[in-house]
Amino acid sequence: MRRGIHTTRRGRWLAAAGAVLLVGATSLAGATSAADAQDLDGELVILQWQGGVEADLWADLGAAFVEANSGVEIREVVLTGTGDMRGPMRTALLGGEVVDIVINTWPAFRAELADAGIIGPIDEAWEENDWSALLSDSWRDLGALPDGTYGLTYTYGNRSGIWYKPEHLENAGIEPPETWDALIASFDALNEAGYQTPFAIPGQFWAHAELFETLLIRTSGVETATALAAHDIPWTDPAVRGALEKYAELLDAGCCADAAAMLANDWDGEADQLFLADERNYLMIGMWMNARARNDYGMAEGEDYSLFQFPALGLGHDNTSMVDSKEVNLTTNGDNPEAAIAFFDFLLTAEAATILADYGFASPSAEADTSLLGPVQQISTAAVADSEVQFVLGDLLPGDLVDEYRVQLQRFLQDPSEETIDAVLEAIEAKALDLY
Amino acid sequence: MSSGAADRGATSRPAREGRPEPADTGGWRPWRLTDAPAAMFLIVPVLVLFGIAVVYPLIETIRLSFYEIRGLAEPSYVGLGNYLTLFGDPTFRNTIATTLLFTLGVTAISVALGWAMAMLCSFAPAQTLPFRMMVFAAFAIPETVSGYMWVTILRPDRAGLLNSVIGAFIPDFSRAWLGDATTARWALIIAASWSAVGLPLLVCFAAVRAIPKSLIEAAYVDGARPISMMRHILMPLSLTGVRVAIFINLLGALRAFDIIFVLTGGGPVRATETIGYFMYRESMTQFKLGYGAAATVVLLIAVSVVSIPAIIQRTAQAK
Repeated sequence: MRRGIHTTRRGRWLAAAGAVLLVGATSLAGATSAADAQDLDGELVILQWQGGVEADLWADLGAAFVEANSGVEIREVVLTGTGDMRGPMRTALLGGEVVDIVINTWPAFRAELADAGIIGPIDEAWEENDWSALLSDSWRDLGALPDGTYGLTYTYGNRSGIWYKPEHLENAGIEPPETWDALIASFDALNEAGYQTPFAIPGQFWAHAELFETLLIRTSGVETATALAAHDIPWTDPAVRGALEKYAELLDAGCCADAAAMLANDWDGEADQLFLADERNYLMIGMWMNARARNDYGMAEGEDYSLFQFPALGLGHDNTSMVDSKEVNLTTNGDNPEAAIAFFDFLLTAEAATILADYGFASPSAEADTSLLGPVQQISTAAVADSEVQFVLGDLLPGDLVDEYRVQLQRFLQDPSEETIDAVLEAIEAKALDLY
Repeated sequence: MSSGAADRGATSRPAREGRPEPADTGGWRPWRLTDAPAAMFLIVPVLVLFGIAVVYPLIETIRLSFYEIRGLAEPSYVGLGNYLTLFGDPTFRNTIATTLLFTLGVTAISVALGWAMAMLCSFAPAQTLPFRMMVFAAFAIPETVSGYMWVTILRPDRAGLLNSVIGAFIPDFSRAWLGDATTARWALIIAASWSAVGLPLLVCFAAVRAIPKSLIEAAYVDGARPISMMRHILMPLSLTGVRVAIFINLLGALRAFDIIFVLTGGGPVRATETIGYFMYRESMTQFKLGYGAAATVVLLIAVSVVSIPAIIQRTAQAK
């Protein structure tokens, strides 16, 4: 796979030997980079499953890359669907689609693709391109499997932030709550200000799990979440139960709509309720909300809407945050691995980071200028930078289990009693025992 | 009067002694063995296409149902393991109950409404043509499109059409129709029936119109009132159309997927998950192709149980 790159470079080394004597090694490095860019050609195929703003982002990233590498033509294999896109991705890959790059956000899926031999390790490219100078080891670890690095993270998001409209809190005479007790107390203040349903819980598919996952790491630490994802501890563990009890505490405090209303809406419907209908005050969802608020609602970041980090529980784990990330994987059967590696390299440049920032997405690259980020993104990146992070639990679980886990959490929302908590955890554990 | 063919046979080839005369075929030449190549020539392309599009995928689905396939991992043969797991799976057992409720509910409502409308429309066929066209138009709308339309009707907030209509009479009324298991099931049945009512209307209307006019005129002359006409003439004599409508709508409801996918996604808490949706979830979302194939085979058997007797009956009637 890397032979093509080596051969090209060897040829250039010979041709440039005289110039090396004259202009020195530093100049040569620059000339080599430029020649690399000039020599790239052919079609670069990307498996694209994202829509909306993220599809636009990728179009801009692709255009910028092609501008610098005019010989390369980017073609996206576009998949459409709703919900979990791993199904359409598997179908496309098993159906014979040959792509160079897979965009991925599920660590469990990365392992599945690697086990099937569809994607390969990128350690060699990592060293050759010195990506460690731009991405810290923790980002590399995030894209790693036991036998090597497979994913290059190009963006990440905070999943422990709570979205709100400053106007709502001003009307209620409160500040963004910094503690659990302040959060609970804010419900009464918001009710008095005319808001009947402070906290949005979008329970139709998966978004109701966001709150549970942050409560899990805030009540018992990231180690517990890691152990649970690997099933080193059972779902019936008291730590897991403790997180659900906290969730029940929130529901009992009158945070939310009735169960039927929670189960009828997905995150986008609840976002409409908060930002358009002014019927909710808090929404816990990932950073893609920023792009929706800016682009779809036309709201001013930091003025019309903002974000605060999940309040402190005082249980010793308040420096933890749930995060997600998106990475690119290199396929083993792609026709243009050289262009794919060059594209990976491009994703870490200041230019790519600027494009990401324009769309409201943060780049983990050291080249990224965080001052370009909007005020909400700055709050988010600062919170993540100060935190001990844990990848979203749902994306670490096997497909079967994550489905059961989300359905059982829906059952919990219908009746957050002690008995239901026990029944729910036992049902998830029973499924887990089948799978691990 | 003998036919031309019989005449030609009589003049060119005299009948041998002891051999019966060829029957009068009314102008058609009787089938001979020499017709077989032509028949084969005509039927082979259809058989080939049928084999590629129906038989091969069917055999492949049955074959897959004997394998455990998880994600992109290598398949492993498990014999009847998937079927045993399937019938031991409480989620699947629930989907059977939901499928029965959904199928019977949609069929009963759509056929009853279509039949009733067909009989009423038959009293003024020309005047009710636009109405019949409008009802049938719903049948022509793709289920995904009608699903999204019903989503806006059943939205859980006050912007939902149903909530706003009820809210006009009951201030601050708001109900999450799709978030509660019972109302979500009935919302699905009503939404699917709305789409499905056009076909029974069309078929039953044709059956009603096929009733001999003399019978209806005789009933009028005898002083029959519209209700009696419907009860004693239109209803019993349009049953053929009703049977066809039941058959088609039953099969359609049994295989329903699109409207469930759009409206509820099988929720809340899998309360609206039918076998068709279960099959999709296991095969496409979980990518357990073998397990999903086993569910497909079960659905296929259910469809066959409903359709084969009806097809045999219709074929026998055609003879």
